[in-house]
Amino acid sequence: MKKLNIILLLVVVAVAVYLSVLPPGAMQSLQASFLSVLAPFLRTGTAVQTQLGNVGKGLKTLDELEVDNRRLSEENRELLATNNLLRDIEAENNKLRSALEYRERSVFKLLPARIIGRDSSTWWNTVKINRGFEEGVETDQPVLTEVGLVGKVTTVAKNESIIVLITDETCRVASKIEGSREQGILSGKRIQESGTAGELQLNFLTKNAALEPGQKVYTAGVSNGVFPSGILLGTVKEFRTRPLDGQAVVDPAVDLSQTEDVFVVVGAK
Amino acid sequence: MRVAAGLLATFLGVFLALLLQQAFPPVYALHGSRLLLVPAIFCLAAVSLPFPAMLAAALFTGFVCDLAYLHVVGGQVEIALGCSIIFFVILGSIANGFHPSFERGRWWPLIPLSTVGTSAYILLQFAMISLRRQSFEFGDVVAWRILIPGALAAVFSVALYFAVRQLAGLLPSSPFPRRGF
Repeated sequence: MKKLNIILLLVVVAVAVYLSVLPPGAMQSLQASFLSVLAPFLRTGTAVQTQLGNVGKGLKTLDELEVDNRRLSEENRELLATNNLLRDIEAENNKLRSALEYRERSVFKLLPARIIGRDSSTWWNTVKINRGFEEGVETDQPVLTEVGLVGKVTTVAKNESIIVLITDETCRVASKIEGSREQGILSGKRIQESGTAGELQLNFLTKNAALEPGQKVYTAGVSNGVFPSGILLGTVKEFRTRPLDGQAVVDPAVDLSQTEDVFVVVGAK
Repeated sequence: MRVAAGLLATFLGVFLALLLQQAFPPVYALHGSRLLLVPAIFCLAAVSLPFPAMLAAALFTGFVCDLAYLHVVGGQVEIALGCSIIFFVILGSIANGFHPSFERGRWWPLIPLSTVGTSAYILLQFAMISLRRQSFEFGDVVAWRILIPGALAAVFSVALYFAVRQLAGLLPSSPFPRRGF
């Protein structure tokens, strides 16, 4: 190997070692800068995906229209198309109204945000949203929807942030179960099964906890914790006893694979 | 000039691949595996570029991959910056060994390199996570999620090679061999 190649190799390895010993805060700053570079492309991609999704929805509606037209030949095609379009708008309207109502009645100061990217990695469950420190987002702020908890903020860039979802193993939430005195730590699974909305595991329950499927799980809101008390996390699916404790499998309240709009809890009202 | 163009194309390709990967959801029919394009693009660069340029490509690819996959929760970093750089330097050094034969028209080593490189990268992430979380959970789903992206990368690497060769053919001095089918 040439001497120059060896020197270059050592330089690259030295850079890698230097980067690896940076403090976590510095790494997050670098990641935030990188996220700011990626963001315009992600936003454009999300817009294109939405447009394509709408085209898909339109085609599906046309298929349905075709079936209807065969059955009811006298119905006017144009009128049906208009009605379907209005139905789409009404559904969107209802969704937004529900979110707005939740925001107004919530005791938290909520910042609406839109998911602009989902993690492309195999082992982590994160999403990127279109709000950053310019809008008041900070690390560790909870993220939720009108249905329940989504996750918490990990990295904050100027106008974008990364959210670790509750289906990720590293996102741990102190939890309590409705109708019982049981409390435990809820986290995601390292390996989520394919084709499901994700499962959560609630650990450190008592071995003889009398839990029934369908019981609701809420955040416990420990002092100095990240998550306020009383946010819905999911429902108990099954309970099993382990040598030292009890564990419940929980279905998340929010379908994280379909969610597009979320709120960041930026403070109390 | 030829090397600079190749390096620039690699940077652009890796960046675009990272963006594209975000757009692809997990393939539930394949055990929730994901399409990973970056290692195959890097392998093509590593076999076609000289060693110093390969190192520059490894530095860039590893750095942006680390930034893309950096996972910090509660002040704990799961995989530190720089780990991917070391991985791509090792993968690139092996791939660069095929550089002379690639110049003579033998492009097929790109397929096993992309396959092994892609699976090895996911395996490395899994191993580092297991180490950090101090628990090792290995099962069929984990194995599939490591192996399937490698198999997909094999197919992608062939398509990538011929696509890039067509594009490079438009340049006055193509860095790709004329024969080798």
